[in-house]
Amino acid sequence: MSNSLFQPALVSEAVKQAFVKLDPRVMVRNPVMFTVELGTVVMLLVTLGLLVRPDPTQGSFGYNFAVFLVLLLTLLFANFAEAIAEARGKAQAESLRKTREETPARVVDERGTENMVSSSQLRKGQFFLVEAGEIIPTDGEIVEGLATIDESAITGESAPVIREAGGDKSSVTGGTKVLSDRIKVVVTTEPGESFLDKMIALVEGASRQKTPNEIALTILLAGFTLVFIIVCLTLQPFAAYANTPIAVASFIALFVCLIPTTIGGLLSAIGIAGMDRALRANVITKSGKAVETAGDIDVLLLDKTGTITIGNRKATHFWPAPGVAV
Amino acid sequence: MSTELLGIAAIFGATVLLAIPLGRYLATVYRGDRSWSDFLAPLENGLYRLSGINPAREMSWQQHLQTLLTINVLWFVWAMFVFCFQGSLPLNPDGNPSMSADQAFNTAISFLVNCNLQHYSGETGLTYLSQLVGIMFLQFVTAATGMAACVVVFNALRDRSADKLGNFYVYFVRSITRVLLPLSLVLGLLLVFQGTPMTFAGKQALITLQGDTTAVSRGPAAAMIAIKQLGTNGGGFFGVNSAHPLENPTCLTNMAENLSITLIPMALALALGFYLRRPKLGYMVFGVMTASYLLLQVPTVYLEMHGNPALATLGVDQTLGALEGKEMRLGSAASALWAIQTTVTSNGSVNAMHDSLTPLSGMNAMLGMMTNAFYGGVGVGLLNFFVFIIVAVFISGLMVGRTPELLGKKIEAREMKIATIVALLQPLMILGGTALAAHLYVSNPTEYASWLANPGYHGFSEMLYEYTSAAANNGSGFEGLGDNTPWWNISTGLVLLLSRYLPIIGPVAIAGLLAGKKYIPESAGTLRVDTATFGLMVFFVIWIIAALAFFPALALGPLAEHFSIGY
Repeated sequence: MSNSLFQPALVSEAVKQAFVKLDPRVMVRNPVMFTVELGTVVMLLVTLGLLVRPDPTQGSFGYNFAVFLVLLLTLLFANFAEAIAEARGKAQAESLRKTREETPARVVDERGTENMVSSSQLRKGQFFLVEAGEIIPTDGEIVEGLATIDESAITGESAPVIREAGGDKSSVTGGTKVLSDRIKVVVTTEPGESFLDKMIALVEGASRQKTPNEIALTILLAGFTLVFIIVCLTLQPFAAYANTPIAVASFIALFVCLIPTTIGGLLSAIGIAGMDRALRANVITKSGKAVETAGDIDVLLLDKTGTITIGNRKATHFWPAPGVAV
Repeated sequence: MSTELLGIAAIFGATVLLAIPLGRYLATVYRGDRSWSDFLAPLENGLYRLSGINPAREMSWQQHLQTLLTINVLWFVWAMFVFCFQGSLPLNPDGNPSMSADQAFNTAISFLVNCNLQHYSGETGLTYLSQLVGIMFLQFVTAATGMAACVVVFNALRDRSADKLGNFYVYFVRSITRVLLPLSLVLGLLLVFQGTPMTFAGKQALITLQGDTTAVSRGPAAAMIAIKQLGTNGGGFFGVNSAHPLENPTCLTNMAENLSITLIPMALALALGFYLRRPKLGYMVFGVMTASYLLLQVPTVYLEMHGNPALATLGVDQTLGALEGKEMRLGSAASALWAIQTTVTSNGSVNAMHDSLTPLSGMNAMLGMMTNAFYGGVGVGLLNFFVFIIVAVFISGLMVGRTPELLGKKIEAREMKIATIVALLQPLMILGGTALAAHLYVSNPTEYASWLANPGYHGFSEMLYEYTSAAANNGSGFEGLGDNTPWWNISTGLVLLLSRYLPIIGPVAIAGLLAGKKYIPESAGTLRVDTATFGLMVFFVIWIIAALAFFPALALGPLAEHFSIGY
């Protein structure tokens, strides 16, 4: 998985989305950027109006057009940031799926001949072999042999468990690792329905609900936006009183500068980026709400040490005894 | 340092020194702990028994607000009755007439909301009965209303989950019996000793130096002036308020009256800390308020003492400062001190004419009212500040990536919605009102010519000041504005009502909601609100909001005037 933010495929998709998201029906969910979009439309009308009939009190065509362009770019950039964050989340799930598909499986048929296939091609009822050190390609049931299996990736249990044919401890899960011995397994799920597949689907489907803090922040930002609408609207009679007419472009420019455009534009991107970062640390977050809750954690209570360990013993440092050279 | 500066430094220093013990005392009284004033308990219990109130019944925040609004309606009816029939009621030695219905309405509303905008002159417009049972009564109860609402918030912020937040009547009665009455008694006595009248006799005939006979108005003034100052009311006994020689006879009374303006608001800020047993929190709030207040006060004193350059070019001596509109016997520094203290606290009493302040001093006075939380009115100032604390907690919480918490209670969407509405109200009222007035004036300058004696930048400042004063429930005015017209009476009246009750209802509702939430004990990750860092955060939140919202309007009024008169 590349960590580069701007992969060409992602960027071109995001650019397309940046324009698609200009749809007011989508925009209205973000009140701050929606007002910027309204301002942009007004500027477009003013600029077009100047083409038809020049009006010196409104400034030159070039000036108005420049203001319009800057506003449009602001909107597009906000959309682009959100789109690229979304695309990255999708790409991550895609790459997980790819890794899973690339796990090789050693299929054996009734005559005992072994065949290497991709794990995604395994059908229900087929048999495969796994040896020590290999990853189990998909969910199944042991029909022959006994093995110690490291299931920490799925269950969080750090100590290896023993699975054997017959009895109620015969099932194995795709993605876990055989530590010793050799087993023969019958596949019990169709492709796309295994435990791992469901987890990948979770990552992909991580839907964009607004988090509680985001909702509260949106309220605050909307409030500030309203204050600045008041400020700009009241400026018109004030200016008229002082005999200093102000051009529409200046009103809109002042308004956009006053309102919290940056935070409003990047808010959704921030949420997605949070989930994306958690994913890079191999933490699957179902929603931004979970990321937010994680920020509030002071004390973490776990019933299994395995959940936070890597599932195996590992030396992190060597301390030589006195007089011993390493 | 000049005597004038020493004088005002002494006033400010003495206020702070008195506010600290008063803050402790307030916390003790409202917690219901033992204090020296417990000898008043039988009186209070008698009042409860007389009115059929059970002081032990605790109320939810909704019940608190319901009680508060109900008694306010009753007071309004009472005040209307007194003002409309005062001519035929007793205690009217000067034979003053009853008020017309619309003026009675205006006066009743204005005193009910602790604003004390006066469209009459006390000497001729009111009788002694109206002054006492109308005006002075409202000055006590509206101040106590603000304090009681503030204590509801104190109670809600304690570190526990609760729906019940004490009894409103208890907070209200104690505010009067244990705080306002004793302090007023002390100040009132001082005023009487210094020469303020306290009599039921009518006008006194005097022979002037020229040998003419003149009648001087008097009345039970000292008692009312005391609560006018202490309760951040501001409505004077005489027409020209504390610039009147009988209302403010000596240098000593000027100091005492000035000190009384900020005393209780300061003490309440500190009481917050003592009440919650987090004294540092009180000092943080007090510190932010004081820093902001000084930011307005220091330049104002400087400007007033340095006079007006436009007058200097005409050859008028400005060595004693800008004396136009000021009392010679009080001087420019003492007037500047009063001008800012009366505007930051929503008091509105004056000892100099604000219309004659130098432009930037006028702007500072307006900024104090626009924020209305640098000390602020008794109780209500702290409620306004509480809204800013909520916003600051929310922003800092998001900056460190945690759900914002204030004293162990999570701040969520509902609280933010209320805080936003309250924060929106001030710009909407001030800017909206001024914009409408400016629009009317521009669209028909001949019809509305009587509004503005000084068209131009100063005229704009006058309109802006009027709405700012109304929105802050302050009551002082740039009196150059011809404001006794239906437009001004009605529009400022509406602003008064909205700006009084919404900023009480909002913070009490937020506090009530917070009180009901689960208490989260402090941990290493908790945002500590009683630190200097957080104080700085609140300071910037207040100033940035004020600057962004009001700078354009101020630029076209006081700032433009400042640069046009030759600074």
